[in-house]
Amino acid sequence: MTIEERLKNNIALALQLLLLLVGVYIIIMAEEFRIWKIPLLIIGLLSWFFFGNKTKYPIIWIMLFMILIVDLCNLYFGVANHHFMLLYMVLSVLLYFYHKRTEILQKNIQMLLVVVVITSVVQKLMSSQFINGDFYYDMMNKGGLFRVFFRFFPEKFELIKSNYQSFLDLNNTNPNLYKKIELKTIIPHQASVSLVFAWVTIFVEFLVALFILVKPKNTWTHLLFAMMILGVLCTRLETGFMALLSICGLLLCHNLKLRLLYVLMVVGCITLVVTKFGFH
Amino acid sequence: MTEKTKEYILKYSIPSLAVLVIAIHFFFVNTQNLNAWKGGGYGMYTGIHYQYNQIYIPGMSVDSLISKKGEMKSIFDRLKLMPNKTNLKKAAILVLKTRDKDSVHIQIWKPAISRVDNTYTRVLIDEIYLKNSEL
Repeated sequence: MTIEERLKNNIALALQLLLLLVGVYIIIMAEEFRIWKIPLLIIGLLSWFFFGNKTKYPIIWIMLFMILIVDLCNLYFGVANHHFMLLYMVLSVLLYFYHKRTEILQKNIQMLLVVVVITSVVQKLMSSQFINGDFYYDMMNKGGLFRVFFRFFPEKFELIKSNYQSFLDLNNTNPNLYKKIELKTIIPHQASVSLVFAWVTIFVEFLVALFILVKPKNTWTHLLFAMMILGVLCTRLETGFMALLSICGLLLCHNLKLRLLYVLMVVGCITLVVTKFGFH
Repeated sequence: MTEKTKEYILKYSIPSLAVLVIAIHFFFVNTQNLNAWKGGGYGMYTGIHYQYNQIYIPGMSVDSLISKKGEMKSIFDRLKLMPNKTNLKKAAILVLKTRDKDSVHIQIWKPAISRVDNTYTRVLIDEIYLKNSEL
């Protein structure tokens, strides 16, 4: 089968990538709540090996869903937001095995994306620390933003390290003294850049949500969405969540070149997650 | 159930579940002071991470209290994530029980940054004074 033929069957490809991503995620989280996961894995894997071809039930997906539920029940306020997204997506896939209708699966994914991105916009608008640029300013000072690029500029990296040390020293003092420290800025006009960047983030996310709601399969929508994902990856290695969003894009997109871009992003993100270079 | 209703349910039940989880997140944010980063509300990267919140107990090293994984660490982590009266009291009771003290004073602080005057400091979120006799 050629690459083009593989890309034409985007649903099968996306499900394969999702299966790989959930598998990797579950291995990373495996140490937590072993008492529940060990029996689930033994029963699930044996059923899959012995009855996988004989039954109509998607045994492997059911097992993965149950393992995700174990983490959710025990760590509801501890798991990352993409754990919830993973659960919704696996649930959509389970339903897909029942109804077998591509347009319903795509509607699930489309609406999920709209809900997630628009909620992210609302959360940002509700945070004064975000809308006045203070949050990005702090992230830059402590190396939380564009860290990958700053590594190529040793003098900037030294500033970040020095800022972080000042922050640690402050935390070793009695907070009742209301001591203030001054952090060193990393880039020129950082105060203004942080503010502009915050509002650009809100605007782009809002546009993405709007486009996905109105034109979920349009090439321009996916160009913007893919650019947003790449933009997030450039600022910070949120690889787990971005892999999930790329799989969503792959499920919805009609353009073969953009499908290829999504596949490359998912594979790249999974590689970074597995090698623990990015966040899971 | 008609075919149309079934289709409608299949299309919108999972996104509705996501909306329900988000509503629960906002409920906890408003009633229990849950940090926006957690609870399925997609509020990550909207404010400084809650791990930078600081628990301060005068005359006691918090680092030594939470050096090992256990009940103390999980209660203190919960206090950083959800700094409210209930979690402050739980932390205070645990410190009193394990450290053989007559009273304890626990404060929870959050970082505050200003890009305008380029300063970084801490702001008190809440505090508790608890005596052994009150237990």
